[in-house]
Amino acid sequence: MATVSRYATVKTANLADDVVIGAFSYVGPEVTIGPGCVIEDNVTITGRTTLGEDNHVFPMAVIGSPAVEGDDGVCEIGQANRIREHVTIASGADGPTRIAHDCLIMIGTKIGGFASIGSHVVLANFTTVGSRAVLEDYVRGSAFPVVNDGVTVGAYSFMKGYSHIDRDAPPFAMLEGDPYRVRGINTHNLQQCGFGQDDIRDLKRAYREVYDGNRRQPNRRVLDRMLANGELSQLVRQAVEVIAKEVPSE
Amino acid sequence: MSEVEVLREVAPSARVSSDATIGSRCVIGPAVTIGPGTVLGDRVTVVGHTTIGSGNDIENGCVLGAQPQDLKFAGSPTLLIIGHRNHFGPNVTAHIGTEVGGYLTRVGDDNDLQANSHVAHDCYIDDRTTLEAYVMLAGHIHVCTGAVLGEWSGAHHFVTVGRYARVRPYTPARRDVPPFTDFCGHKDDFTPSVRGVHEAGIAAANLSEEEEKDLRRALAELFDEETALQTKIEQLVNLGVEGEVEHLCEFCQQSLQGVFGRYRERLRGQVPPEAEKYLAPEQMAEARRAIL
Repeated sequence: MATVSRYATVKTANLADDVVIGAFSYVGPEVTIGPGCVIEDNVTITGRTTLGEDNHVFPMAVIGSPAVEGDDGVCEIGQANRIREHVTIASGADGPTRIAHDCLIMIGTKIGGFASIGSHVVLANFTTVGSRAVLEDYVRGSAFPVVNDGVTVGAYSFMKGYSHIDRDAPPFAMLEGDPYRVRGINTHNLQQCGFGQDDIRDLKRAYREVYDGNRRQPNRRVLDRMLANGELSQLVRQAVEVIAKEVPSE
Repeated sequence: MSEVEVLREVAPSARVSSDATIGSRCVIGPAVTIGPGTVLGDRVTVVGHTTIGSGNDIENGCVLGAQPQDLKFAGSPTLLIIGHRNHFGPNVTAHIGTEVGGYLTRVGDDNDLQANSHVAHDCYIDDRTTLEAYVMLAGHIHVCTGAVLGEWSGAHHFVTVGRYARVRPYTPARRDVPPFTDFCGHKDDFTPSVRGVHEAGIAAANLSEEEEKDLRRALAELFDEETALQTKIEQLVNLGVEGEVEHLCEFCQQSLQGVFGRYRERLRGQVPPEAEKYLAPEQMAEARRAIL
């Protein structure tokens, strides 16, 4: 039997046995909440929202509210995510808003409809993620970054404070500024995630060449030369291929 | 006029003064203490081992004493201590400390924390400071007496904001902000650094005419771009300094000894000196054990 506060309003029957729901929270009729979830007080969960196992939702968060009024959107949240105070996650009208697993979404973050957040993502306070934006696995950020609608941020990248991701961003990169520039690679995150020193060194060299001079756009000529080079390590090749896709060929 | 029923959930073991006012839809956890004269607006959540002093004004939607946003936090009963006569604007959040950061987050007296500002784990806010709207403090920060942080400004982990200093709006303070200075800059080509003297801070500090003259001279000498800061500090100290100027020189010296201009980075791996004032001996022992 789920533990539901006497002051909570729960309209769904799809609650797992050990779910805890705090006072003054509202859980809508089409919501499904998996085992081990803790929903604290004053939380609102509406729309066709599904929460997987072991999620922790902190006070004042709003999940599954329609991005556009009147839409009956879908929101799918995976396992073991921590959704902190005052976070707003809109439901998607064209497709589901997805959050994978083991994410930490900090205070005041706003996630737009149909956005997709990968696993192990850490978004700091007051991040704004536009609708249809994609944040791949292990993306991390500092406070106040803005990710525009429909933009993809590559895996393991770091969005520095106040950065503005106005176009697709490469993986493994340190992104800074408004609009963003690539300021090298996210060494600390890569080390934490178990990448070897050789891989990190190779990536660093490759990124220095690709983003030399004008760091707003990668250098197409360098990219072509690298892709033609058969001796590139697998990781660097992967990264270069992703970057090359975003740059029109000359 | 019909009376609307006021609902609130206050844990039976919470120690709430009979003189405190608790708004509708508030949730007060079991280990919370709230002093007399404190007013909580609607939908305020106070949880964790949180102590709130007297005469505080806490507006709607604040969440105080929640778990820190730190991946290392293991769930110990760490503390949040809030002093007296503070103002918390709507949706302000303040977290309890972490085990490895010294067990304590503290807000002093007479502070003004405006809408949506955030006080993270292990921060120490002294007295009479102003955090304007959307100010984000990362963990382990010390905001000294009388400092003002402008709207949407942020401070990096382990930064110290000096006495009566001012951080301009939208400025990320990535290194220590010296006392009585105006810290500004937010774009790539406008690196955040000291850009002048915080006049309102000097006025608020109630200095004597002599002290003010000495302080202004010291600030002008220290932050003139010509010579290295270390040399200038030494020159000043050799001439003999006292009062605010001595404090200023010490502050700058400590920042230079820190990591990336942040003195408190040096305190990583030890209980911060401020914690000893507020923690009970057994809590201090616990904090020391956690770090080991």
